[in-house]
Amino acid sequence: MTDIFFTAVFSENLALSFFLGICTFLAVSQRVDTAFGLGIAVIVIQTITVTANAFVYHALLAPGAWSWAGLPDLDLSYLALIAFIGIIAAMVQITEMVLDRYLPVLHRALGIFLPLITVNCAILGGSLFMVEREYTIGEAAIFGFSSGFGWALAIIAFAAIRERIRYSDMPNGLNGLGSAFLITGLLSLGFAAFAGAAG
Amino acid sequence: MQERKYQSPGFLARSNDDPAKVFGVAISVALTCSLLVSGATAYLRPVQEANLAAEREARMAAMVDAVPGLRDIIAESGADGLETRMVDLSTGQFVPGAETAGFDYDAAASSEDIATTIPGDRDLARLRTRPSQIPVNIVEKDGELLLVVLPMRGRGYQSVISAVMALESDLTTVAALRILEQAETAGLGARIETPEWQASWVGKQVAGTDGTIMIDVVRGGASTSFEVDGISGATVTSQGVANMVRYWLGDHGFGPFIERLRAEGG
Amino acid sequence: MAMREIRSALITNNPVTQQILGICSALAVSTSVATALTMSMALTAVLCTSNVIISSIRHHIPPSIRLIVQITIIASLVIVTDQILQAYAFELSRQLSIFVGLIVTNCLVLGRAEAFASRNPVGPSAIDGLANALGYSLILLLVGTVREVLGQGTWFAMTVFPLASNGGWFEPIGLMTLAPSAYFVIGFLIWAIRSKRRDLVERTGYGLRREELSDD
Repeated sequence: MTDIFFTAVFSENLALSFFLGICTFLAVSQRVDTAFGLGIAVIVIQTITVTANAFVYHALLAPGAWSWAGLPDLDLSYLALIAFIGIIAAMVQITEMVLDRYLPVLHRALGIFLPLITVNCAILGGSLFMVEREYTIGEAAIFGFSSGFGWALAIIAFAAIRERIRYSDMPNGLNGLGSAFLITGLLSLGFAAFAGAAG
Repeated sequence: MQERKYQSPGFLARSNDDPAKVFGVAISVALTCSLLVSGATAYLRPVQEANLAAEREARMAAMVDAVPGLRDIIAESGADGLETRMVDLSTGQFVPGAETAGFDYDAAASSEDIATTIPGDRDLARLRTRPSQIPVNIVEKDGELLLVVLPMRGRGYQSVISAVMALESDLTTVAALRILEQAETAGLGARIETPEWQASWVGKQVAGTDGTIMIDVVRGGASTSFEVDGISGATVTSQGVANMVRYWLGDHGFGPFIERLRAEGG
Repeated sequence: MAMREIRSALITNNPVTQQILGICSALAVSTSVATALTMSMALTAVLCTSNVIISSIRHHIPPSIRLIVQITIIASLVIVTDQILQAYAFELSRQLSIFVGLIVTNCLVLGRAEAFASRNPVGPSAIDGLANALGYSLILLLVGTVREVLGQGTWFAMTVFPLASNGGWFEPIGLMTLAPSAYFVIGFLIWAIRSKRRDLVERTGYGLRREELSDD
């Protein structure tokens, strides 16, 4: 359990080693407070969707999932992609409504990020990894939380660095996007150095 | 044509805000897409399965090629390859007359009749269950055992690794290890499939003189004949392979079988 | 017109280096040229087809369910592409792992569907899809080439630099096979493009500020 956590947060960080959700990662990391909000939203949605998708996958899509109905050879796993997308969109919508109804403060803080998350590769990628790595539902929940946590950690660290270098005097062509990529590369190296911590 | 004037406007001509059209479009998109996807999958599945089967065969052939002289030995012995015998893991005995062709490991490991639950404290390979009988490959010449090829499964970092290990006639020297299937992290754990890493197992000793399993994967600087270097950056996968080997050679795996072969000299 | 479109998408308005669209998948599969090429072809196929389909039914997509219709069409195309790869390019599809599936959330595909195909006729949409896919492929193949040549001394698995371990002189750069190098390569690429074309450098940072986001 702890090895799932540590590898998902550090050595196999979704953003830094698998390049997932990088579009959002680069676009919404100008300021630490926005990055923080987005990070929290990703943790919440990732935990919910990976668990829900694991449940749907094991109950409906996995090879042999229909054997109770006398269809042991039915393999619907090719539908996983489209099912996951639908579930993610639905989960984001539901989370948004629940937050709006019961936690309006949180909704104001996270609301603007939720639609962005529906098409975030990190969220879909998390669910696809869950299938590929054959996690059980319990492991999937832990993986969902920890991969979301890793992503949040990465974007907050990245935003903090960018705030510091905003006024640095860099070569003209390197301003903005160029330096952002180089910094992400260094960050990725740093996170990979934690590989040993996973044991 | 003349009559159409008196009917309601055609479906496509309706306003895009008309609920009937919204539903109609949604359903027809869903239907078309599901037909397309299911059709493509059904049509392509035989080709994909043939690919998987061909891959498994190619790796088995690679295994035969990897052991120096094995192909010659098989050719000399006149057998059409390896002899395959079903082994009962708990007793270590061959199961006479058991059908080995078409053995499906996954089906056998999940079927209630023929699977054995692995006790949690002994489940090094983290498999939970295993078949109670598994076919092994044996190469003999003139009644003398030359090689025994043991299939193995074990959980790596993110996938179940499937492998075969060939032991020489002393039943402790590794003749070859081949990873047959894995889906570990590309570039890291997946490097267990590289010929270089698999070659680093050749000649290692799996057990000490008293029969205890000693083989292990270590992080950098393998020094004894019981140690194999792990893959840097893929500790979990490397350890997964080590645990797999240790489980299957141990007394809940092929231990009794190996013990019997050693006692009987084949 | 078509040529101008394509040239613009290759350099000045490249979807990857200028609009930071679709790089997620672009980087993960760039360890070798062969995987990069397969990924490029898969993305080109999906992007062109989805642009054509969405453009041809654009008058009949109700605005209220526009996004979900687009995503469904794209996801179906991706599944079909993935199945075809598994059937006819088995080894490569293994290496591409989940990243073919992730074309669904590739901002580039959905972005072009939404921004261009849903309001333009079929012909221009097809060209727009092709141009953007080529821009994406160009970057991906460049990064793939750099990483494979420096990391393994080969290009398309053909030896370029003989390795020291095989009696040659080239000591491969291990870092190039790891994830961070993709960021470095693309960072330097952007630097190079922008040093040549000063007009492409963004003035005040890029991306959305909180105020801009909440207006939406």
